[in-house]
Amino acid sequence: MNAVRLSGVTKTYGAHRAVDSLDLEIPMGSVYGFIGPNGSGKTTTIRMILHIIHPDQGEIEVLGKCETRASNNRIGYLPEERGMYKKMSVKRLLTYYGMLKGMAKRDARRAGAEWMERLGLGEWLDKKVEALSKGMAQKVQFISTVISAPELVILDEPFSGLDPVNLEVLREAILELRNAGSTVIFSTHDMSMAEQMCDSIFMIYRGKKVLDGTVAGVRASYRADTIRLKLSGGRAVLDDLEGIETINDMGTEQEVRFSGDSQELLQRLMAVTTVNRFEISEPSLHNIFVRIAGPEAEEVAHV
Amino acid sequence: MSKVLTIAFTEYLNAVRSKAFIVGIIMMPIMMGAGLIMQVLSESNVDIQERKFAVLDESGELYDYLEEALEARNSGIYKTGKIEFKGLGAVGEGLEVESSGGGESASLEEDELAIREQYLPAFSMEKYEHGDESRSAELVLSDRVRNGELFAFVVIGKNILAERTRPKDQVYYYSASSTYKDLSKWIRSTIQDKVEDSRFAAKGIDLELVADLQRLITFDARGLVEESIDGEEVGGEEDNDIQSFAIPFGSVMLLFMLIMMSAPQALNVVLEEKMQKISEVLVSAVTPFQLMLGKLAGTILLSMTLSLVYLGSIFIATHYFEMEAMIPMRIYAWFLLFQLMAMAIFSSLFAAVGAACSEIRDAQSLITPGMMILMIPMFFLVVVLKSPDSALAVGLSLFPPATPMLMMLRVAIDPGPPMWQLILSVILTAGFTVGCVWAAGKVFRIGLLSSGQAPTLKNLVGWVFSK
Repeated sequence: MNAVRLSGVTKTYGAHRAVDSLDLEIPMGSVYGFIGPNGSGKTTTIRMILHIIHPDQGEIEVLGKCETRASNNRIGYLPEERGMYKKMSVKRLLTYYGMLKGMAKRDARRAGAEWMERLGLGEWLDKKVEALSKGMAQKVQFISTVISAPELVILDEPFSGLDPVNLEVLREAILELRNAGSTVIFSTHDMSMAEQMCDSIFMIYRGKKVLDGTVAGVRASYRADTIRLKLSGGRAVLDDLEGIETINDMGTEQEVRFSGDSQELLQRLMAVTTVNRFEISEPSLHNIFVRIAGPEAEEVAHV
Repeated sequence: MSKVLTIAFTEYLNAVRSKAFIVGIIMMPIMMGAGLIMQVLSESNVDIQERKFAVLDESGELYDYLEEALEARNSGIYKTGKIEFKGLGAVGEGLEVESSGGGESASLEEDELAIREQYLPAFSMEKYEHGDESRSAELVLSDRVRNGELFAFVVIGKNILAERTRPKDQVYYYSASSTYKDLSKWIRSTIQDKVEDSRFAAKGIDLELVADLQRLITFDARGLVEESIDGEEVGGEEDNDIQSFAIPFGSVMLLFMLIMMSAPQALNVVLEEKMQKISEVLVSAVTPFQLMLGKLAGTILLSMTLSLVYLGSIFIATHYFEMEAMIPMRIYAWFLLFQLMAMAIFSSLFAAVGAACSEIRDAQSLITPGMMILMIPMFFLVVVLKSPDSALAVGLSLFPPATPMLMMLRVAIDPGPPMWQLILSVILTAGFTVGCVWAAGKVFRIGLLSSGQAPTLKNLVGWVFSK
């Protein structure tokens, strides 16, 4: 059964088509990554899934229903732009958000305290939000999203701006949610994080879906044409060869995409230079991302 | 519904716990109290500096009369009363104390003293005889006023008592302080009296007879008379300025003040949440309409709390001073109903503007029309107060958003508007309130997630009618 299903969804802002005929199925219990450069349509897709904005065309079904909204208590949503009441204590804030998700006051208070303890923020429960560091605040925001143990958790850029230690804590917390049975959707620029955590990924670029499937499946589909080389003649040798589509020069090594038979490429290279390394490698999600989105995604992918 | 209540109570608690609210609610009575104290203090510290003026009486007939009148006036510039003298230092400057107990043997603590307190400045005058041929009397005396020797001077024309006077026979008053009118008024009326008397006397008319014939009639303004259950005539009580003016006017001003104190809160919290990016977090838990209703309910609760404090104080004070009959209970009830409706109208308007804007500056310019709607009924207060049943007053008070203010005014003026008008106004205002909340809800939903440039009024109208 799918937690989320989109079919033929289109959203236009004026002349700009933010999302174009999007079909997507997100199975229950999976961790699904939404990747794509800024302005590609990730947040618009998420907002449509949550019925915060309405699509111009198409159908969206969430948790088996077409009218499931963000306000549904079975959903937890952490928006990309998130703020908190600075003057409230963490305890009161978490209790408030828990109650807005339909929890009884006592349950919300207890769950808030448990989560704070679990994420190593136990002693900050009675402090005011304004006293928290950025990393702590981000963890508190995460807790406010998952405090009511929702079946579907949607996190828009949950890791942006986190230091490696906090990032690891949050990663574990998300995987725990998955293990507890929740479906987790998150958007990210961080390809390695998506690669580590996601069962499946979905990449949107200029409003269109360009990738969708399991991480292993996506990488396998790009496997054959990526070859990592270390040549005595260096990069210059590659310039005259036919069939090479792109060259990613990494200094002493080069990563190339070759449209033909890789064995034939090896023979042609051996005829002109000494081949120190010839590895048919699986491209990283990063490489795939850059390959699809082009040079403009290069900067984004390094964020 | 429970989510709306959760938002409302959180909003309410945030507001009432804030320093601004606590300071505001305490400061208001303190400031009002301080105002009263200042008034009392300033009353007891009135300007009692002597005003000296010179009189150049060219007629030679009026100076003595003025002197006599002046003496009589100066003897009436003291208030007298009795105080209990309790020990040390109770008598301050400016008080003349006379022992009324009549004996040194009386205990000082228990002694009762008569006090004479001056509350008006004394006037003094001097006769000026002009002897200097080189300069005019006006110049000489003006110099003396400038030097501070005199406060003013009067030149009385030669033929002031003649039957027909020419311009040069008038009375001319010269002073450097044109805003101080007491002296000129006194001189004018004193001379006027004398001149009138002398005119009557010249015609051989008995002055006592004139005074008797000119005595004032008694005129007593009273309310209507009704028949009680026992068949007796009741009512017809003397008109009371507090009841006929202060209560209607005061109730509208209080209503206006309560709206001004609470409704902008809706704009502030919504705009602050939007600026701090809290709005999207909230709409991930509740619908925008629930969020807005919660904010409205919180703001209305806040305003009702203020009302409770102020109306409660008035209620307790009127009972304490046994003046409760002045403000019938129905006035409290109507006040609360009109406050509720006005708060719903204006809070929803303010919340919508808060949601539509991303910056305080934009909100301030967009809220101006809303403030105008709130202010306009205030311009008609005097008109409605004078003729509460005129076609204009009825028309204005029936149609929202002016109803809460103007109908409140009419309710507080005895005997109040007919019941059908009250019912109609409540129905119309309730309908208008629902319309406002609905329209604000539409603007709120779209505005909350919009960013960038503030919408124009035209945009807002478009949002209201968008799907």
